[in-house]
Amino acid sequence: MDLMMTTRHHGPEPSTPAMVTDRTLNLATTEPVSRDLGQWEQALALVALSRDKQAYQELFGYFAPRLRAFGIKMFGNEQQALEMVQDTLLNVWQKAALFDPTRGCASTWIFTIARNVRFDMLRKKQSRKDDISADDLWADGDYPEAEDHQTQKWELWLITEKLAPHFAALPPAQRTVMEKVYLEEMSHQEVSDLLGIPLGTVKSRIRLALDRLREALDDSER
Amino acid sequence: MTQSVNHHPSISLLELYCDGSLNAEVALLVATHLDYCPHCQQLRHDIETDLGAQLAASTPASQDLHNADWLEMMNSIVATPQLPFTAVAPAQSVEQLINIGGYQFELPRSLRRVASKRSKWLSMGGIATARLPSGEPHHASLLFIDKHTDVPLHTHQGLEMTLVLAGEMVDENGHYVPGDLIINSPDDTHKPRNISDEPCLCLSVLSAPLQFKEGLTRWLNPLQRFFY
Repeated sequence: MDLMMTTRHHGPEPSTPAMVTDRTLNLATTEPVSRDLGQWEQALALVALSRDKQAYQELFGYFAPRLRAFGIKMFGNEQQALEMVQDTLLNVWQKAALFDPTRGCASTWIFTIARNVRFDMLRKKQSRKDDISADDLWADGDYPEAEDHQTQKWELWLITEKLAPHFAALPPAQRTVMEKVYLEEMSHQEVSDLLGIPLGTVKSRIRLALDRLREALDDSER
Repeated sequence: MTQSVNHHPSISLLELYCDGSLNAEVALLVATHLDYCPHCQQLRHDIETDLGAQLAASTPASQDLHNADWLEMMNSIVATPQLPFTAVAPAQSVEQLINIGGYQFELPRSLRRVASKRSKWLSMGGIATARLPSGEPHHASLLFIDKHTDVPLHTHQGLEMTLVLAGEMVDENGHYVPGDLIINSPDDTHKPRNISDEPCLCLSVLSAPLQFKEGLTRWLNPLQRFFY
């Protein structure tokens, strides 16, 4: 079984995303598929509905090595990193039915599980797990969706000179999206296609950048 | 009368909360703010989406685990039964209502479990405080301020973070309603007051003992212990 072969690439990510539309494709022959829209969401649905091991294997094969790298960065050692990977991906297997694609991407869901697992591991190590746990801190996204009205309100502001200096201070990923949308006047969908990131991620980065700019503006006017 | 939340955590603080690197007590304060604030809920969603996308776009470490080890882990996972949908949410002992000073308050979601583990209320004048489970160097507590009651003027060596849960209060810098987050640095001397006709309940997180500056209270060491 060539389960892990897709993770064996050492170079930088290719500049054009590999579009994989058939989720049953042999992963061993494909380039990284992180930018493929909807694949992981479909895989999670199959795991939830029919305990689909093939779908789970795709999720595991892609995310396990990345979670491990993330864990090593966070914990500074491999043993705890692997404990985090195993616990996170066990949650993905057992709780796939809780994933709701209308509320966000599969990658977001998996990231938040890893974050919570890591938090509880650290608390447990301090023997404080029962004091304040991840369940207290991160409600499972059950907030009502807020209206997206502030985006429009800010569009006019963005062409003013006032914001220009703050633009450069945005985190690179947010700045790129903002430049495409506001300077090159691309649609959100076009930016999503160009950068190979989900549409929801484009919208999230715009909202974050707008809030950051507003914060910077507030501070500079004080 | 409903008033909207006006005092929010900064984006940087929200980012630390979302990536899980805040200490538990401050994270609890941010989580509780979110219970009141749709604006920051949206930002939380956006930050988590961004972080998730970063995880998905990241590269595995160049020294990856052997295939056989990954396979072993995966096989042990898929051998585990999936939880039935209804059994996924863990049952927890929670406390939705809290009684103090002859009043009853409804607790926000994020405090319901933690508040059930609080220590006994300590009361002094129209003020009462109950410690929540928390560890050094941070102390988290519930703070009750009765109507028309002042909290003695004080400074603090570390950060003092206060979140209004119910009622309202004022200090030299503003007027605060449920959901408002007030952060005071060691340089701030301030005097929170409840000048309204309703009692006020707050969540308070301190990172160092307070020093009182005013009159007699300055010499009352027990008062310091009381607040810390």
